[in-house]
Amino acid sequence: MSRVLSWRAVVVGLLVALLPALPFMSKFYLLLAFDALLFGAIAMSLDLLIGYTGLVSFGHAAFFGLGAYSTAILLERGVLSLWACLVAAVLVVGLYALVVSYFATARRGIYFALLTLIFAEVVYTFSRYTQTFGGSDGIQGVPAPRLMPAFAIDTPLRNYYVVLAYLALAYLVCRVLVASHFGKVLVAIRENEDRARFLGYNVQRYKMAVCLISALLTGIGGALYPGRSAFATPDLMLWTVSGEFIIMVMIGGLGTLAGPVIGGAFFVLLQEKVSSYVDWYFMVIGLVLIVIVLFMPRGLLGIRAMLGFKQWRATA
Amino acid sequence: MDYLVAVLLPQLLHGLVFGAALGLLALGLTVIFGLLGVMNFAHGELYMLGAYAGIAVVGVTHSFWTALIVAPLAVGAIGAVTEVVTLRPLYRREPLYGLILTFGLALVFREAVRQIWGGDMRRIQPPVTGSTPLLGMVYPNYRLFLLAASSILLLAIWLFFTKTRAGILVRAAVQDAEMLDGLGVNVPRVFTLTFAGSAALAALAGLLLAPIFTVYPQMGVEMILLAFIVVILGGMGSMGGSVVAALVIGLAQSLLTLWMNPQRVAIAIFALMIVVLIVRPRGFFGREGVLE
Repeated sequence: MSRVLSWRAVVVGLLVALLPALPFMSKFYLLLAFDALLFGAIAMSLDLLIGYTGLVSFGHAAFFGLGAYSTAILLERGVLSLWACLVAAVLVVGLYALVVSYFATARRGIYFALLTLIFAEVVYTFSRYTQTFGGSDGIQGVPAPRLMPAFAIDTPLRNYYVVLAYLALAYLVCRVLVASHFGKVLVAIRENEDRARFLGYNVQRYKMAVCLISALLTGIGGALYPGRSAFATPDLMLWTVSGEFIIMVMIGGLGTLAGPVIGGAFFVLLQEKVSSYVDWYFMVIGLVLIVIVLFMPRGLLGIRAMLGFKQWRATA
Repeated sequence: MDYLVAVLLPQLLHGLVFGAALGLLALGLTVIFGLLGVMNFAHGELYMLGAYAGIAVVGVTHSFWTALIVAPLAVGAIGAVTEVVTLRPLYRREPLYGLILTFGLALVFREAVRQIWGGDMRRIQPPVTGSTPLLGMVYPNYRLFLLAASSILLLAIWLFFTKTRAGILVRAAVQDAEMLDGLGVNVPRVFTLTFAGSAALAALAGLLLAPIFTVYPQMGVEMILLAFIVVILGGMGSMGGSVVAALVIGLAQSLLTLWMNPQRVAIAIFALMIVVLIVRPRGFFGREGVLE
């Protein structure tokens, strides 16, 4: 256990679980905490691609949005079981991710980024103009999903624990993956794709597999979103949302898993804080991103290394 | 025959006009990509800045023609400063960082414009009004001017890259920047000036298209996707390929609108790109193994 899961992670997890017990945790803050954990988990699954495999996906918003749409469509039509929604999301996102990753992983570098972007844009355009799924308004006002027939996830507190469970599971999956032989091959591909291929690894199959895992984790996160917001709109899939996911990963620190979780939470809280004072928060986000790329390429987690005189190398 | 003159011909010309302007935008993108290995996500915002700078200049001088000269120069200067301050420190790092950096730049530019000019849709009055009878139909003069201006610019750029020393230096830097550095050329300066030039071209495209489109802070977001598609289709880093692909996309888009609604056209363009990439991964004129 110790190799995969450190005691530190367990303690942090328990503390986060006790968070709602704090006296100032109103409904508003619970929902904010929900977003922080949800986007933290999504940034973490994107980190599998960017940080560990060296593939920049500019299309993760589509996985997120498709997951959200699957749930919203089922809830709207009276299928209230959370499990049914999750299964539907996994099927829809998995099928789509299979197609995207097949074509995108055949190409390297910038082509991968642009192919994922264009595919996501197809999904966005499609959802935006399909009236069956609400067109540009999306699907609004869906009922809360149910964990069990008599147990609806209809309070912010219940939603919070659902997303916390999802984050914990996703973290475990990612940790196991990264520590495994599979994870080592991913890093080998990032460091030198040709050499990995010469060693006999079927590089494309590894890339497709990690794409699929990352997409499914993101899609499951998306499937939990309508439970909190009661809607799914095309704007969830705008390509700038994919860019925001990348920003979260960068803020936290590439290739660390824990970093992007912090980055996602930081992004959500920053957005909330800044936008309550001024309306130019995108400017702040942009500047934060620029400063991080220029001066702290290892993100917030990199501060530790900067302070602790460790060798300081930009890894990507 | 009536159908040909009344429907097909104007649409064909629309496509050419749009394609030529798109070519200006994509050309800058592809040169920067060839040079720095960075797909410039802020290119659409430079295009948008061009239109807004134009509005500002027109507001002061009441002359579109002055704006046509001043706006690209101003945006070019912004581009030069941006390159020196933010992109230059990243030369030695992986292109991934440059890509993400330009995404941050795009956010900053877009928000700055929204703060200064507000988020409303704006229009610029075309400097040339009226229309001309042409091949049995009537075509707006401004669009004819746009076509002529874009074509002349594309020709000038071609001459620049083939006939002048500066243009040949840029092409040499695309081929092998290290070698050029070894030959005693100030390569960072080539990079900066090229970036400024590409920014100015984007601004020019933005201002030229402003009288037939609307101007708003998000206008670059949609345009940049189209420009990406053009660059991929043309073959990454191939300048000629970009121009050809821009015309193909422009024509495809305007002709397809005859039979489909706009969103289907958008999807059809994406599909076209995906099919081309599967059948011919390098695009129309991309060289094998370049920048993969």
